Amino acid sequence: MEMQKPIPVIQPWTKEFWKATKQGKLLVQHCKDCNANIFFPKKVCPKCWSENLTWIESSGKAVVYTYTAMLDMVEPKFMGDLPYVIAMVDLEEGIRMTTRIVNCNQDDIKIGMNVEVVFEEVSPECSLPVFQPADESLRLASPDQGDDTAVAAEPEKGMSPENYQTILYEIGGICGGECTITLNRPDKYNAINRQMAAELIDAFRRVRNEPSIGVVVLAGAGGKAFCTGGDLEIFPSLAEHQNSLNWLSHEGLDVQRAITSCEKVVICKINGHCLAGGLEIALACDLIYARESAKMGTTEINMGILPGWGGTARLPRSMPIFRAREIIFSGRKDYTAKEMYDMGLLTRVFKDEDFESEFEKVVKNIAAKKPIALRMGKEVMARSADGCDMETALAVERNGIQWLTYSPDIQAVMDQFRASPDKLTQQQKQQNIRSDVKK
Amino acid sequence: MEKQRLAIIGTGEVPTGTYPDRSQWDIIYETCISAVRDAGIDKNDVEAVITVAPQAQPQLTAEISFGKIPEELGLKGCKDSCICNAGGASTSNCLRLAEQLIESGQAKFVLIPHVTVHSTIPLPDLINFFAKAGIDLQWEYPYGTTYNGVIAMMTRRYMHESGTTEEEMASVVVSLRKWATLDPNSIFYGKEVPTIEKVLSSGMVSSPLHKRECNVLADGGAAMVVTSAEIAKQMGCPAAVKLGESTRYFSAFTTTRSTEDVKNGFLQGTNDALNAAGLTKEDIDIWNMYLAYPVGHPMFMETIGLCEPGQAGKMFMEGHTWPGGKLPWATIGDAIGRGHTGSGVSMATYVETARQLMGKADAKQVADVNYIFQNTSGGSGMNFIATVWGRNI
Repeated sequence: MEMQKPIPVIQPWTKEFWKATKQGKLLVQHCKDCNANIFFPKKVCPKCWSENLTWIESSGKAVVYTYTAMLDMVEPKFMGDLPYVIAMVDLEEGIRMTTRIVNCNQDDIKIGMNVEVVFEEVSPECSLPVFQPADESLRLASPDQGDDTAVAAEPEKGMSPENYQTILYEIGGICGGECTITLNRPDKYNAINRQMAAELIDAFRRVRNEPSIGVVVLAGAGGKAFCTGGDLEIFPSLAEHQNSLNWLSHEGLDVQRAITSCEKVVICKINGHCLAGGLEIALACDLIYARESAKMGTTEINMGILPGWGGTARLPRSMPIFRAREIIFSGRKDYTAKEMYDMGLLTRVFKDEDFESEFEKVVKNIAAKKPIALRMGKEVMARSADGCDMETALAVERNGIQWLTYSPDIQAVMDQFRASPDKLTQQQKQQNIRSDVKK
Repeated sequence: MEKQRLAIIGTGEVPTGTYPDRSQWDIIYETCISAVRDAGIDKNDVEAVITVAPQAQPQLTAEISFGKIPEELGLKGCKDSCICNAGGASTSNCLRLAEQLIESGQAKFVLIPHVTVHSTIPLPDLINFFAKAGIDLQWEYPYGTTYNGVIAMMTRRYMHESGTTEEEMASVVVSLRKWATLDPNSIFYGKEVPTIEKVLSSGMVSSPLHKRECNVLADGGAAMVVTSAEIAKQMGCPAAVKLGESTRYFSAFTTTRSTEDVKNGFLQGTNDALNAAGLTKEDIDIWNMYLAYPVGHPMFMETIGLCEPGQAGKMFMEGHTWPGGKLPWATIGDAIGRGHTGSGVSMATYVETARQLMGKADAKQVADVNYIFQNTSGGSGMNFIATVWGRNI
């Protein structure tokens, strides 16, 4: 259930105002003695202390005096609305209201823009007056389309690599056959905020549509860290039970799923600190390479909680369980990459000075394989590792390979084999040699 | 009999920041004992304790309201104790209450403490408090406004009207942080001062306000001992003497506050305080401004005519307000530079004013300081309290 948003705290003398909002009317309090229009409405006229007060109906037309796009650091009950626009608008009746600007793109809002009132229901007793552009061409939906008060600019709308704010998305790079997704908040140790979670989900879904790409490199910008987990800014919002659960089950689970269900081989490049949620993201990848000086660990237990983005599930499945338990229970953040490797985690650790070149070699080699084989390999091994019985695993493997063999890619190779078996055998030998480390 | 002028003769302060082992009462002990010792008096000479109300800490507020400080510190000469709340303007009102007690002969020395420990307040309570403080529950809060949001709207309007650029706005933060890095009691003490680019590269919170243009909540506390200028002179101790004061009330909420009223209040309040002190703005050596967010600083500077309209941003950008500049400005770096301690930044600003005039400001010390202008303000900017301070000559 969505959290209850605050409803206006109504006073006896403002009941009339809120009752009118249910009929789509915006009222302005008016003093019959001194003719003042009054806002906020009062029990007596603040100018002349007259009690001879009435209500006039506003035209609902106003001009934007100032506004702000709320992007972060709001109360948990408003988190779900982010981003939203708060504004002060000057009504034709000469009063200034705080409100929201809705039903338009944030970038179209300007000081001086003409707006008109619409109503957003918040309780059976009252609706909030909010404002949309008077210019219909600036509205996201026409007023008769029902939900005309939708909050401006949903984060997912129009999300693309060009406007990612927290990650970089690059096709090609090391050998042209891979995509690199870089967590790009280096001054925050690449910590994950809601924006980054949304962008990661988008990026891993997007790369699925790149048929020539077989490998995705997931890296951290700046050299200080791969990722240190959830941004501490998120934490105030987690004080609310529902928000906390959503951070785990929406953003958290969706990011993990976006990585594990991405058909590409995801190679994690750990260069610097890799902690808490950062390590859990690494664990969702298919291969993990680390710089020798990288420091790793799960610190959640130091706050009295546990890793919540797959840590308790994947660490014990990735290494001997008695060692996994130590990592989770100790809360240490200073495990070196070498220690982690010795304990059974990680694909490989390279010396700091060799890291970039060795990592490049690995990516180059794997990215040169056929994407279709990498994709099938990822899926077959994932099902096998999930713990099915041996016969099932072997059947999945057998049928997977049989499917690959009859895929158009491989059949094209088979045609060559049929035409000149020796030539193909030679080619295959060369491919095998190229894949070895020692050449 | 001539009116007795108020003099600050002792200060005590702890570093601002998050220190889990330091309780609220640790801070009260440390700051009060330091202030009494700095004043050179005996603890039993303190005849009244008037405490700045801590915000969002109801238990502590209750304890202090009902007289725990004099008992805890063993202030045997104390005749009365109370607490005073006007948000960020509380300290100014504590000083005025003390002034009355001293003027009427009921107390010679008054102790004024403040403590805030944000870090132990349950997070939901803290969020809830700051989302509602100074924000109307009927006409503003249901829309999802926050302090940052309200200030962001003021900032956008100010930039629109004055032509101030976002780089110039960011340079206010740079200037404040240049002072803060020299201040052992700031959370940013010894920290690298961010460049304009770095301020602007921090995440947008509420456009056009970036994260580094917002305040960091922190724990802190300070205390002052005050007496009359006459007694301070007899004691022969360095003192900061209040020479003039003037106040303006605007409105409780930003929706109902006109920028013109605020600017007029800034100008008239400042001039009245200067006139009361028999000074002009050219006599002021330090402008010790407490405005919480960047926007108030250039707005105030140009409103009272310290630069041409629309040129205040440049004053910050060109370094005139930095340490060593011609217009030393907010020498603890305001709340942006100090760390926001609820109602405590106004206290910290008075402590700084006193230390500058006493020659005790160490690395921040401005040379040849004779007169300081200081303001405070409460809530979301409900009022403007202007004061002018000088040395006890």
